[in-house]
Amino acid sequence: MRLRFILKLSFLHLLRSWRATVVLSFMVISAVASLVFLASLAIGTNDAMIRNSTGLFSGHISGSDIPPESDTSLLTLPGVEHVLVRRQQRFLLWAGENIEPVLLMAVNPLQEKQSTALWKKTVSGRYLKPGEDGIYINQETAERLQVPVGGQVHLGNAPRDRLKTLTVVGVYKTGISLLDQGLAFCPVDVFPLPDGLITTAVFLQDGSPTGDILQQYRRLIPSGKFQAWPEFMPDLKQLIDLNFVCMAIVMILVFALVSVGISCAFLIFTLKNLREHGIMKTMGIMPVDTVLLLVSQIGLLTLCAAALGIIAGMAAVLLFSQTGIDLTSLTSQNRYFAVSGIIYPRLTPANLLTPPLLAIVFGLAAALWPSLYIIRKSPADILRSV
Amino acid sequence: MIEILAVSKKYTSGRGHITALADISFNVEKGRSSVLAGKSGSGKTTLLNCIGALEKPDSGRILCNGRDISTLGRRERALFQRREIGFVFQAANLLPWLTVAENLQFPLELNGIRGKKQERRIDELLATFDLSGYGKAMPGELSGGEIQRIAFARAIAHKPSLLLADEPTASLDSVTGNQLIQLMLSLCADQHTTLIIATHDTELIAMTDHKIYLKDGRMETGI
Repeated sequence: MRLRFILKLSFLHLLRSWRATVVLSFMVISAVASLVFLASLAIGTNDAMIRNSTGLFSGHISGSDIPPESDTSLLTLPGVEHVLVRRQQRFLLWAGENIEPVLLMAVNPLQEKQSTALWKKTVSGRYLKPGEDGIYINQETAERLQVPVGGQVHLGNAPRDRLKTLTVVGVYKTGISLLDQGLAFCPVDVFPLPDGLITTAVFLQDGSPTGDILQQYRRLIPSGKFQAWPEFMPDLKQLIDLNFVCMAIVMILVFALVSVGISCAFLIFTLKNLREHGIMKTMGIMPVDTVLLLVSQIGLLTLCAAALGIIAGMAAVLLFSQTGIDLTSLTSQNRYFAVSGIIYPRLTPANLLTPPLLAIVFGLAAALWPSLYIIRKSPADILRSV
Repeated sequence: MIEILAVSKKYTSGRGHITALADISFNVEKGRSSVLAGKSGSGKTTLLNCIGALEKPDSGRILCNGRDISTLGRRERALFQRREIGFVFQAANLLPWLTVAENLQFPLELNGIRGKKQERRIDELLATFDLSGYGKAMPGELSGGEIQRIAFARAIAHKPSLLLADEPTASLDSVTGNQLIQLMLSLCADQHTTLIIATHDTELIAMTDHKIYLKDGRMETGI
C-alpha cells in the first residue's frame, strides 16, 4: 500500500474519531507544555543563580594580576556589557587595639553601583562615594575591629605603620564567605598604591559566549589571569549541571509515563476498532502496512499534539518571562540568590525541542504494542471475537 | 475453479476438542454460485474462512485455480486475499471513519488501481448499486441495506475471482435481502466471479444452483 494512502487513512481516522483524538492529544499537549515550561524554569533558575552569583561582585569573567600599564579598554569586546577595573592590595586595618588583615579593593563607586549588587547588601551605613576617605567593610571585620559606621580605621603594612586613615561609611553582609571575610573597599581615588596590579570584573550580555571571550582575553593580555565563573565558582557549575541532569531525568520519566498512557489508551482505542482491523486484514493488508498505519496514526497525533504543546508552553514562558516568578520567600537564605529571588523562565532551542522530540520518540514506541497485537491476531479470530 | 479436498478442522476450547469440519470435499466451477447451508455452529463460517485463507485447515487441501492456498505463507496469503478474494460479512462491514467512496477506494488502492481508473471504477460501482450521490456519505448515515450494498460493491471493486459472503442477508429484511442477492448473483455471473455464500436463509438457499449442507462439521448433501 502506498505511504501516501496510509497517511491519508491515518489522518482521516484521527480527524473523524475526533473525540478519541482530543482525549489522547490532551495527554501529550499537557506533557509537552509542562515540560517546555519546566525546562525553561530550570534554565531561568540557573540564570538567576549565575546572575546573582556573578552580579554581586565578581562578574562572569574575573581578571587578576593584570599589569598596571595594560590597556583595559581592550577588554570591551562584542558581547561584553561592562568591564570594572579594580586595584587590590593586602593591608592591615586597626582601630584601637584591634587589628585585622584585609584585602582592600579600590573601586570606582559609581560604576560598581551601576554594575554590581554588593551595595544592596549594606546592613548599616551606606555605600562609598567617589573621592571620599571612606571604607566599606564586611560585618565580621567591623565586629572584630569593634568599629561602628562613622568610626575611623587605620590602614598600613605593619602595626603602627600608618599609611592612611579612613572612615567606615558602611558595613555589608552577603552570606557568601568569600566576600564576608577579610575584604574591604575604598574609592580608587584614595587608594594608597595607585600603581598596583589591576583586577577586572567583566559582565557579559545574556547569551554571550563566555569561553570565546575568555580565550580572546588570554590572547590580548597574556600576563593576566582570566577565569570564567565556572572556574572560580565550581560549586555553582556543579549545581547547574545537577539541575540539567535532574531536568533530563524528569523529562524522560514524564514521557515514559505518558508513552505508557498513550500505548494503553491506543490499545483500548485499537481494541474498540478491532473488527475494522479484521476487515482490513481480510482485504489483504500486509503486516507492515498495519504497523505503518498505527505508527503513522500515533505519529501524526503526537506530532500535532506536540506542536500545540510547544505553543502552550511558549505562551506560559512568555507570560512569566515578563513578570518573573518571585520565589524570594524560598531563596532569601540561599547564597546563590543573594541579590534577588525572582526567576525569569527562558526558552532555549534545546528546551523548546527536547520535550516534543521525546514525545514523538516515545509516541512511536507506544505504537508498537497495538501494532504487534493486531499483527499476531488472525483475521478469523478477530471477526469471531467481535 | 475451487476444489475442497478432504478438509478437516478442530478447535480446542474449554469444552474440549470440537470438530468444526470433518473430511469436507466438493468443487465449485469458476463463475458459479454455491451456498453453504446449515444451522448455526454447523461449520459454515469456518469452511468459508478456510476457503478465504483466513484460517488454515488441520488437514486436506483447498485449491483455487489449481493453487493450494492452505500452504501459503503470510505474505502470499495476504496477496492472494488482496487480489483474488472479496468478502462480505453479516454486519459492520465498512470502515466507519471512511466515506462510502473511500471505503470503495480501499481495495482498489491495495490492488494498485489508482488515478482516473480508480475514480471511474468507484463511479461505476456507485451507479451499478444505485448509490450515485452517496460517495461522500459516512456509513453511519446509511441504512442497513445501503451498507450491505456498499460492502458488496467494495468486495467486487477489484474484480476478484472469488466472492465469499457470510450470512450477507441476516441483518436485512427479506425484500432488501432478496434484492441484494439477485444483484450479487447477476454481477458475479457478469464478472465470472465464483460466489460462495454461507447462510441458513431458506429463500437464499433456493436461489442458488449448488448447495452444500453442513451439520456438525460434516457434509450432508452435495449437488
